[in-house]
Formats: sequence, C-alpha cells, structure tokens
Amino acid sequence: MRAKWLCLMGLAGAAAGCGQGNLVFNVDVLSFLSGADTMHYDLPGGVGPVDSSVSRFFALPGGFGKSTINNVSITGAATLYNATGGGNVLFDVFFAKTQAGLFTGTPYVTASSGPVSGVDTVPLLPPTTVSPGDTVFKADSIWVGVRARITTNPPLTPHMTGQLRLMQLNVRIVLNDKIF
Amino acid sequence: MRTSVIGIGLVTLTVGWAAQAAGQGLVFDARRLGMGGLALGRSSNVVRYNAAYRAMPARAGEYGQPKVTIPIPLGLIQFLHDHPHISNDPAFNPDSAGFNPILVLNTLLNLPIYYEVKQAPTPTNDVVFDIGQNALRANLGLSAALVPEDQLGIGGSSRPLDPGIGIKGVRVSLMGWLHDEVGLQLGDNLLGFLRDSQPATPNTPYTVIGDGILEGGVAPSIGYAGRIAGDSTTGFYVGAAVHYYLGIAFARTNGTGGFVTGNPIFGAPVKPTVSAVTDYSKAGNAFGHGVGGDVGVAWVSGPVELGVGVNDIGATLTWTDTREDTLRYDTTSNAIRTNPGPNHFTTKTKLPVSYIANIAYAVGKTTLGADVLNNGRGATIHVGGEQRLGLFALRGGVARDQRKRVEFGWGGGLRLGAIGLDLGFWTHTNSISNERGITMATSLSIY
Repeated sequence: MRAKWLCLMGLAGAAAGCGQGNLVFNVDVLSFLSGADTMHYDLPGGVGPVDSSVSRFFALPGGFGKSTINNVSITGAATLYNATGGGNVLFDVFFAKTQAGLFTGTPYVTASSGPVSGVDTVPLLPPTTVSPGDTVFKADSIWVGVRARITTNPPLTPHMTGQLRLMQLNVRIVLNDKIF
Repeated sequence: MRTSVIGIGLVTLTVGWAAQAAGQGLVFDARRLGMGGLALGRSSNVVRYNAAYRAMPARAGEYGQPKVTIPIPLGLIQFLHDHPHISNDPAFNPDSAGFNPILVLNTLLNLPIYYEVKQAPTPTNDVVFDIGQNALRANLGLSAALVPEDQLGIGGSSRPLDPGIGIKGVRVSLMGWLHDEVGLQLGDNLLGFLRDSQPATPNTPYTVIGDGILEGGVAPSIGYAGRIAGDSTTGFYVGAAVHYYLGIAFARTNGTGGFVTGNPIFGAPVKPTVSAVTDYSKAGNAFGHGVGGDVGVAWVSGPVELGVGVNDIGATLTWTDTREDTLRYDTTSNAIRTNPGPNHFTTKTKLPVSYIANIAYAVGKTTLGADVLNNGRGATIHVGGEQRLGLFALRGGVARDQRKRVEFGWGGGLRLGAIGLDLGFWTHTNSISNERGITMATSLSIY
C-alpha cells in the first residue's frame, strides 16, 4: 500500500510539474529508523575491528526504476558517546538494491571518530556526498544500512562501552523530468 | 496498479481542463476561429438557441454563408510527423520510461486537427517532495498555479435531432434531447496539499468531490416562429415552443473519492476512500415527464440585427421509478461495494436553462457581431468582425470562455467564385499550462 501512496505522489508531481524541471525528493531517512538509530557497544580492549549495524528496506515511488537520476546527495551525522575504555569508531552509511549487497561496497558517507578514551563525546560529521547518475537509486526499492566499525585499545579491561547515535541522515534524489 | 493510478490521474486532469475546451467549443471553421469564435449568419448557435430565428430569412447577398465547410487538418500532418509510429511511441506508452503524461493530456485537450503555431509552454520548475516517516510536503512551485481551486465541469444540454413539419410558422416536431454534466472539485485537504504546499497530516482524507448527471429522451414539441411586425428589411420576429419532455433514462451521482493517510503517514497503509450515492432510472422503467419551453425574439433593421433566446425554461422532469444505490469502499475486503437503496421512488431532475443574446451589424463590406451564450455551465462571450477587400477578407475577434479567460482570434480568407479558402489563428489555454498557445486553422468552403 505504501507503493500506491508513493505512486500517487509521483503522479501528482509528474502531472503537475514535469516540463523540463526536475523532480526532487528530500527524504528524512532518520525518521524511518526510529528505534534503530542508536547502536550500543560493549567490547573488551584490544579487539577489532568489530561491526555493529542496522538496516532498513524502503519502497521508492513507482517509476524510480525507469527514471533518469541526475544525482543523489547524502548528508549524515552522528554522535559518539563513549563511556569507558578507548579506541576508535568508524561511522558508515550504505545503500544497496539488495540486503545481501548492503555492506559490501564503499560506504556513501563515512567519518572516523579518531582516538577516544574514557568519557568522551565526539561529533561525527562526514561531508555530504554527491553521486551523479547513481544507479543504486534507479530501482523501485532500496536498502539502507548504518554501520559502526569499532576497534578497541588494549588492555582487555576496561571494556570500551558507549553508543553511537545517528543524528541526521538525509537523502536528496534529483530525477529527470519524467518519473513515469 | 501503476497504470490504473495514472489512468485515474489522467482522466481527472482531462475532465478538469476539458472545461476550457468545452467553453471555447470545438470549431472546425477557420472563418469563425478568425473572428474569435463568433458565428455570424443563420447558422450555429443563434438558430439552436433562439426560436425566433427559425422565421428569419438570410440577409440578401450576405457574405460568408457556405453550403459546406471542410476543415484542412494540417495539425494531423504535424502530429504524424512528430509521432510517426504512434503505436510504438514511448511518449504515449504508460509502461515506457519515456511516457509523457503532459503530452498525452495536451494531445487530448488540443486534438491535433489544426496546426499548432505556438505550443503553450509547460511549467519547467522543479517539483520538490519532502518526505519523512510522518511527514510529507509537496512544493509544486509555479506549477501549483495550475491546480484548480474552483469546480471544473463540462456538459450542457443538446438536441441532436428535431424532425418535424411546419405550416405557416407553426411547427410540430419530435425533438431528441440530452443533458450531461460532470463536475469535479478538489477537497480542501488535497487542494491545500497540492496548491498551497501544506504538509500532509496522518489519518486525513485527501479527496476529490465529484458529481454528474446524464439523462436523455424525446420531447414532442409544438412551436411558432414568425414576423409580427415590419417587413423583411425591418421586422420584429418572435418564436416560442413548448416541449413535453419524455425522459427515457437518467443517472445522477454525487460522491467523493480519494485516500486516507496512515498514521504515521509512511508507516501505516494508505486506505482508499470512496463514497457515492447514485440515483437512476434505466431505460424501460417509467418515463420521466416534464414540460418546458423556449422563447426568442429578434429584430432586424437594415444593417442591424438583435436577438435574445432562452431555452428549456421550467424543464423539470419527474421520474417515478427511481432507484438509489450507495457506493463505498469496504476497508475489510478492500473492494468497492454497492448497497442497493430505496427503489421505485419519485425524484426530479432539471435541464439547465440556456440562453443567447446576439447582435450583428452588416454594412457594405463590413460585418461586426457579438454574442453571449450560456448553455448551462457559464457564459461565453464572442466579439468579432470581418472586413472584405475584393477577393480577400480580414477578420478579428476576441472571446471570453466559461473560465473567464480571454482568447483572441484573427485571420483572413480568399474567395474565388464558389470556393473559399480561410485561415484563422486562435489563442487557447486548453493545455496544461498557464500561458496561451496559438493554433492555426485552415478550412475550405463551398458556396
């Protein structure tokens, strides 16, 4: 039924506005990840890298698979709240057409916390990436995945504990004029 | 599903913008288009809507009364040149990546009969959607101005046939009649979402409100038309007719259709919502009955001619064998259900009163004219004229359609004996655009 909704929305945009203009979708992906926007970690020292990830499936407006995508801009931001221990955390965001292929390629946005130790709060602000003509989004559905890649410092104790909280994940998709 | 959604959208938009087309009329005569849609002489609207004109003779030596007018469809050549393989043209194939709904709509609204000199430009601004799990907002930019605020409708009454016999101005006939109307209006929520860029809210209906009626039948009629004062150069004519309407069948519906957002908007299913009440009386049921009449007066004095005609006065039909059905979308079975309602009850329908007022002035080689016509869904106004220069004629005119948009016409003609070639240019706003296009009409007339 979501597909119906999105298809109708696409029709409205296409019928009302498709001359030579673009169809632009600003998607607040974070809002769809409620409950999965925070990744907790508790790892002994001297291990890693260890991955913690979440993923979600999205239906895109009908016709995305047949449209020409001008470009896709992705803006992400996260905050690392480290409680104990030390190490570093790599924050990655992936998009893929299938769940199996989600964490296999190069992340769309990535940022490293650098060395952290003890109680520390580190903002992770990867630069906005722009992917012209991205074929991953040339589909009727898509998977989004967020990964925290953690490497801890020895000794074994204390454990490195804390959480990585996603603060922003916006995707701006610019289509050519004809979604249908 | 995708095709059906597109289809519904196209039909909705087509009906909406067809109102403009109906207001301007589908005219095949380049001479008339060149005068802004004005019809001069004893043809077309004045005879249809003014009962007195039945008795008025054509002006002696009046120019421009062809026996036959044949449109020259240069637009078809243009269209077939642009789309040589229409059946395989991706722009007209909903399953193709190149499908262009705007082109399809514009083709439907501007049938490619005449040559399109200037295409009405379609909006070129970006359309932006902001989407979150519980948020949706559309910004159509300049295109939002195309979203209709008022009710859009097409329809009116017509008399496709009227065979009869007449003696000394009295005429007895059996008139066939039809009345059809379709009206659509965006609900406040949908209008605000599309036109004013208001954010969508959860659990909210976004609907289109529609109504329509279709009825038809025959009407035994008796009428009189004659000159009651003066002579053929200066005279006063009156006409009247009484019709006993026998309705063969009718259907009338009022309803809303659309969808209800989920809660959250993108986290719960969107539910269709449809509800409509339909009254109808099928052919074979008892006839509808009603009485109505036409009146008209016309005055001619030398070069000046004036007329006023009103049709279907008091034409209310009573249907004694009506049935009412209720249509609604059943969210349990996800299907549209029809619930039979009361049967064999009496209801009434009313034909729209239509009227025309016209004036013409013909002196020497100049003919000027104007008319106001309301066929039940708003008035259209035409003002135009023709100046003859030897074999040539120059024409111009202006019109205001049912949506109060002003259009312009201009053109010319060449007449060689019994053959005339006419060229007319005509602005139009039938396209999905807020700017005018210009079409060029060509026709051949045989006198």
